[in-house]
Amino acid sequence: MNQIPLQCLILACGNTLREDDGVGPFLAQWAEERWRNDPRVRVLCDHQWTPEMVEEVAQAESVVFIDCATDCAPGEIRTMTVEPAQDNSKLGTHHLDAPQLLALSNQLYGTLPRSSLLLTVGAGSLELREGFSEAVQAALPAASSLMEKTVLELLGSSNDRPSTQRK
Amino acid sequence: MTQTITIDPVTRLEGHGKITIHLNEQGEVEDAQFHVTQVRGFERFSQGRPFYEMPRLTARICGICPVSHLLASAKACEAIMSVRIPHTAAQLRRVLNLAQMVQSHALSFFHLSSPDLLLGMESDPAQRHIFGVASARPELGRAGIGLRRFGQHIIELLGTKRIHTGWVIPGGVTEPLTASHRDEILAMLPEAYANVSLALAAYKQIADRFQQEISVFANFPSNYLGLINEDETIEFSDGALRLIGPKGEIIEDGITAQHFTEVIGEAVENYSYTKFVYYKPLGYPEGSYRVGPLARLNIVKSMGTPKADQELAEFKQLANGPVESSFFYHHARLVEALHGIEKIERILTDPQILDKHVRATAGVNRLEGAGQIEAPRGTLSHHYKVDENGLITWANLVVATGHNNNAMNKGVLQAAKCYVKDGKFTEGALNRVEAVIRTFDPCLSCSTHAFGQMPLAMTLLSSDGAVVDQVIR
Repeated sequence: MNQIPLQCLILACGNTLREDDGVGPFLAQWAEERWRNDPRVRVLCDHQWTPEMVEEVAQAESVVFIDCATDCAPGEIRTMTVEPAQDNSKLGTHHLDAPQLLALSNQLYGTLPRSSLLLTVGAGSLELREGFSEAVQAALPAASSLMEKTVLELLGSSNDRPSTQRK
Repeated sequence: MTQTITIDPVTRLEGHGKITIHLNEQGEVEDAQFHVTQVRGFERFSQGRPFYEMPRLTARICGICPVSHLLASAKACEAIMSVRIPHTAAQLRRVLNLAQMVQSHALSFFHLSSPDLLLGMESDPAQRHIFGVASARPELGRAGIGLRRFGQHIIELLGTKRIHTGWVIPGGVTEPLTASHRDEILAMLPEAYANVSLALAAYKQIADRFQQEISVFANFPSNYLGLINEDETIEFSDGALRLIGPKGEIIEDGITAQHFTEVIGEAVENYSYTKFVYYKPLGYPEGSYRVGPLARLNIVKSMGTPKADQELAEFKQLANGPVESSFFYHHARLVEALHGIEKIERILTDPQILDKHVRATAGVNRLEGAGQIEAPRGTLSHHYKVDENGLITWANLVVATGHNNNAMNKGVLQAAKCYVKDGKFTEGALNRVEAVIRTFDPCLSCSTHAFGQMPLAMTLLSSDGAVVDQVIR
């Protein structure tokens, strides 16, 4: 495994052909532009989170997962702390959720990021089309700002602390 | 009273499948079927599309092996264009194909099958998944992750995207390889070699524990089909197909893509949406055969790379003639993964791989074209007909799982007869019946399903088809 420490990993998922499911890729692209020349931040985006991403998670001091959500109002922006999953009996072969990725990181590499956050934007529509619903379109500036604020706080707090916690 | 046991869905497969086991009045297994319950429709809805769209369209059939469809489709398009692609483009496509094979074989071995092999067929389903493997053998879990990343990262470096890359087009590829990307891939090789060596060592250490499974996991004489070079080395991207018989004798050689439909036919059974492919001169089902890693290693005389050739020699010691038990698909898969890494190294250390000329251009010069390659699971063929404007009028895809369909059904019956006794079934027995299918690593489409637990619906039918009882977990 590559031993170069990574201070903040932004890990987004989504499908740009499923309307508001594209919010993850949108924010990932925004983040790539924002931190293009900053080696402290790495941005990864794919259709779904897969077991193969666990190496990056294990290397990161902090992780910000980004996705749309279907259990809140359209356009609602939330952040929450993510803990490693305790029950892995229902596991997919091709995609994991954020808690499962953390649990796999702990299981395989004995490490967990010091901070793990999930930032979601409530989906208004997941139809087969590109673009966003009105509610999500209106929420994108605030979501980008919140992501930026969150990452900067993590980078700032990272400078004050020793490296990734080990279990 | 006869009984029918249904396993629905079958777990740790790519896609959705169902197994039905029929018991006679004595409670003995009389018959078994493997049903594919999905309909995709690509051959139909691609009609009317421009032929050059087919690689991108058909790549969407699958998220595990989109590269295979890209390549077979592009070759069919090139037959319509009557072009020969530049040598560098052919070599770059070969690297892409091998990278996909490595990551696909890693998925099959580490994620889908190693839970059974490492934890045992009778182990707790709630633990019989990658987390269980990670707990018992974390170094193997990391090796599997590493090999998947190796293959996927190469695909990403070549084609920008890990899944459904648009880099392969009719005529070649869109972009040449840069020196920095080549060097990045070469730097990944030592870890890849270490990971596949670890997997081979672990497999050999544990395989002996499965003597009973080896004896009944689709263990029967059969024919075998696969691509081969003229020097009888293994081939995944070009060459021609060879069909050998149960004793290793050549039945037919030099089957090109254009010749394919003359000798290969497709039968339909009323219990599955997947066709049953067979060798026409022998008829159906006598002309059935197996494809994929086991078949390929049975057909070739050499892998063409030194480490893999050592492993091939060891593999061929398993039998006097073709290796028959489908359990050894696991072993063959790992040998192919090792070969893939060696071949990628060989291709990338040739300075010509950085050549800028990677695309040939042409329009419609023929109204029909076919292409064939070896996908991770076996031979894949795309065959198109177009009108004067290049619009698809007919398309036929023959996929690896179709080639193996008859063998999978025979394998399920063989295992069921061994493990399902007196109308009784255990968790381990049903897992073994599923595990037979997993040795073939069929791709029924890319679909997620749950590890470990066995979502199982068992339906007991009376002899007249009425539901007597049903158990759903």
